[in-house]
Amino acid sequence: MQLFPRPASARQPAERRSHGARRIRKTGVVAAAAAVVMALSACGGGSSTQNADGPVELRFSWWGGDKRAQLTQEAIKQYEAENPNIKIKPEFGDWSGYWDKLATQVAANDAPDIIQMDEKYITEYSSRGALLDLSRYEIDTSKLDEAALNAGKSEDGLTGIAAGINAATILANPAVFEAAGVPLPDDSTWTWEDFGRIATEITEKSPKGTYGAAAYGTDEASLGVWLRQNGKSLYTSDGELGFEPADIAEWWAFLKELSAKKAVPSASEVVEAEAAPLDQSGLATGKNAMAFWWSNQAPALEKASGGDLKIMRFPTKTGSADDAGLWYKASQFWSASSRTKHPEETAKFINFLANNVKAGETLLADRGVYPNSEVRAAIESKLTPADVKVVKFIDQIKDELGEAPAPPPKGAGSIQEIIKRYTSEVLFERLSPEDAGKKAHDEMKSAISS
Amino acid sequence: MSAISELSSITRRKGKATAEEKKANGRDNKAAYIFLLPWLVGLIAITVGPMLMSLYLSFTDYNLLQPPEWTGLDNFTRMLSDARLHNSLGVTFTYVFVGVPLQLAVALLIALVLDKGLRGLPFYRSVFYLPSLLGGSVAVAILWKQIFGTTGLVNQVLAMFGIQGPGWISDPSTALGSIILLHVWTFGAPMIIFLAGLRQIPTMYYEAAKVDGATTLQQFWRITMPMLSPIIFFNLVLQIIGSFQSFTQAFIVSGGNGGPSDSTMFFTLYLYQKGFGQFDMGYASAMAWVLLVIIGVFTAINFIASKYWVFYDD
Repeated sequence: MQLFPRPASARQPAERRSHGARRIRKTGVVAAAAAVVMALSACGGGSSTQNADGPVELRFSWWGGDKRAQLTQEAIKQYEAENPNIKIKPEFGDWSGYWDKLATQVAANDAPDIIQMDEKYITEYSSRGALLDLSRYEIDTSKLDEAALNAGKSEDGLTGIAAGINAATILANPAVFEAAGVPLPDDSTWTWEDFGRIATEITEKSPKGTYGAAAYGTDEASLGVWLRQNGKSLYTSDGELGFEPADIAEWWAFLKELSAKKAVPSASEVVEAEAAPLDQSGLATGKNAMAFWWSNQAPALEKASGGDLKIMRFPTKTGSADDAGLWYKASQFWSASSRTKHPEETAKFINFLANNVKAGETLLADRGVYPNSEVRAAIESKLTPADVKVVKFIDQIKDELGEAPAPPPKGAGSIQEIIKRYTSEVLFERLSPEDAGKKAHDEMKSAISS
Repeated sequence: MSAISELSSITRRKGKATAEEKKANGRDNKAAYIFLLPWLVGLIAITVGPMLMSLYLSFTDYNLLQPPEWTGLDNFTRMLSDARLHNSLGVTFTYVFVGVPLQLAVALLIALVLDKGLRGLPFYRSVFYLPSLLGGSVAVAILWKQIFGTTGLVNQVLAMFGIQGPGWISDPSTALGSIILLHVWTFGAPMIIFLAGLRQIPTMYYEAAKVDGATTLQQFWRITMPMLSPIIFFNLVLQIIGSFQSFTQAFIVSGGNGGPSDSTMFFTLYLYQKGFGQFDMGYASAMAWVLLVIIGVFTAINFIASKYWVFYDD
C-alpha cells in the first residue's frame, strides 16, 4: 500500500499517482477534521451544561483544610439528596493557591458558580462586576446577624453572605505551658508586656526549638488589633490607610524586641512557618505555646495538635479586656459568580448553606459561629467540645468589642504579602522598624490606590 | 540510485517542469500542510495567538475581570521606578551568571571524568543524568526545601560537627545560593552533550601531542577546549535562555512569594505575582516582553562573541 506518494519527480505511471493523490485528499480531510475537533475540544469545556429541565451542575469552590473539605462535601451530599436535579461539583485547595486560581478562572470566564470569598478580596471582585448581587434572588436574610450581613453589602449590592463569625484570638497550648512550668495568663487582664515576659519564660524553660509564642506579622489581623488598640485602624471608611508609618514601625519594634529575647522563633523559622499548612503549624506540633489565629480555626488546630487548646483574648496596653479592640469578622462569604448560568439554583444553594438547619448540623462551627441565630440555636447540642469553646469565646467578648472596622478596599489582597515581606526584613535586621514602616506604608498606599 | 544523484536529477529537471508536474507539486504541498495542520493549529492557537494577545495587553491596563484599557507605554514607564522589579532583575541576573557557568563547569568536569573510559559508563551516565530529569520538578523542589530547612538534613549533618547552620532557604543571604545549587545539580543534560562532543575529538590529536611531550593540562587547553568550543557554545546559549525563564524552583522553594525578603524573587515570579496575585495583567504582559527582549539581547551577544572564541573544525 502506498500511503505517502513519492515526489512528482519520481517516475511513476500517471494513473497510479493520481490514485494516490485522491487517497491523500481523503486522508487529508480526515486529518483536518481530527485536528479541528481536537482544537475545539481543547478550547471548550469547563462551563456548566444546561437543559431546560435536566440536571443542573454547579461548581462550588472553597479554601481550607481536610476537615473543612470533609464537612462541606457532606453538606453537598445532603443538598443533592434533597434536590436530585442539582449536582454540585466541589473544587477546593489551600489558601495560598486559591486566589491565583480564582483570578485565572474569572479571567477565563470559567469562574465557579459558588465562590467562598474573603473580605480582603470581596471589594476587588465585586467592584469589578465579577460577583452576583444576591439581594435580587431568593435568599432569606431575616435571621442573619446584622453586622455580619452588612459586611457583605457594598454599592455593588449584596455580593456575599457571611458564612460565619469569628474573631482574632491567641490560641494557647496548655501542655506546652505545663511542660515549662509556666501558669496560663488571665487573658482578661494581661498586657503586651505580660505577653512578652511569659513567652520569654516559656522559651527559656522549654527544650530547644520550642518557643513561647509564634511571631505575629504574617497577616493583617494582628496588625489590625494593634492599631485599634492605639486608636488607629488598618483602613478608613473612604478606603485609605488608617495609620501612619510610625504606628506600624512601633509594632515591628516590639516584635524585634520579642525576637531578641527569643520569645518568638528565629527569623528563619518564622519564614519557614509561614509556608506550613495549618496542621503543621508550630501550635499544632507543640513547638509554640501561643500563636495568633482566627477563632474558627481553633477546632481544626485542636484536632491537629491532638490535645486541648485555650482560646484567649489579645493582650492590651492597659490591662483591661475592654481595650482589646476585637471585632466580629465575617470569617468568609458565600458569593456567586456574576456570570453563572444558573443564578436561581446558585442562590438556592447559598440559601441552604446559610439558613438550613441540616447544613448547620453538618458544617457546625468550622467556618465560624453561624450568623443565622435560628441555626445557631438549633445546632447547639450537636457541637463538638472544641466548637462549643469557640461559640463561648465569641459570646464572651460580645460586650468588649470595638467599632466594626471599615471594609478592606480594592487592592487589599496584596497587603498581607507586604506585611510578611517587611516583617522578615525587620527580623533579619536588614531594615530598621522605622525604615520598614515607611516603605511598607508607601507600598500599601499604592497597592490600595491603584 | 544514490541520494545525491537523485537530488541532482531533481535539480536538473526543475527548470523544465511541466504544467502537469507543477499541479502535482501544488497538490503535494497541500498534502503537507494538511498533515502539518494539527501542529499548525497548536502553534497558532497556543503559541502565536497568546503571544500577540500579550503584546496587545502590554499596552493596556488589564485587571483580568474587566476589559483591557489602552494606556500606551504606561506599563513600561512604570517599570523604570519599580524597585521590586529592579531587585527581581538583580536576582535573575545573579542566578543566570553564577548558575550557568557553574553548572557548565561541573557538567564538563564530570564529562571529562566519564570520558576516561570508566567501567560501567552507561550506569554512571544515567545516574548523573537523572537530576536533570527531576530537577525542574515540583517534587524535587519540595525535597530541596526539606533538605535545606532549618532542621533539615544539611543542618543535621553540620550539627554532628558542632556547626549550627543557617536556615538555608529561609535566610535572605543564602536562599538564592540554595536555588543556584539546585540548578547546578541538574547538570546532566549539558553533561550528556559534552560527553558526545568529547567522543567526536579524534584521538590522533592527543597522540601527536603526547609525542611532542604536552602535559595533560596543555592537552586540555590546546586540544579539548578548542575542539569542544562549539558544544560549549551550544550549551551556553541553551542554558542562558532556559535560566532566564526559570520559575518552578523558586516558586516552590519560596512558597510562591519569592521570599525571604524578595531574595528569590525571580523576574518570572514577580511577573506571575503581578499578573495573578495583584490583578495587573497588563503590567505582567509588558514584563514578559521585556524578558523576551533581554533574552534576545543576551543571545545576540552570545552569537557575536562566539566569533572570537568558538572554533569550527571544518
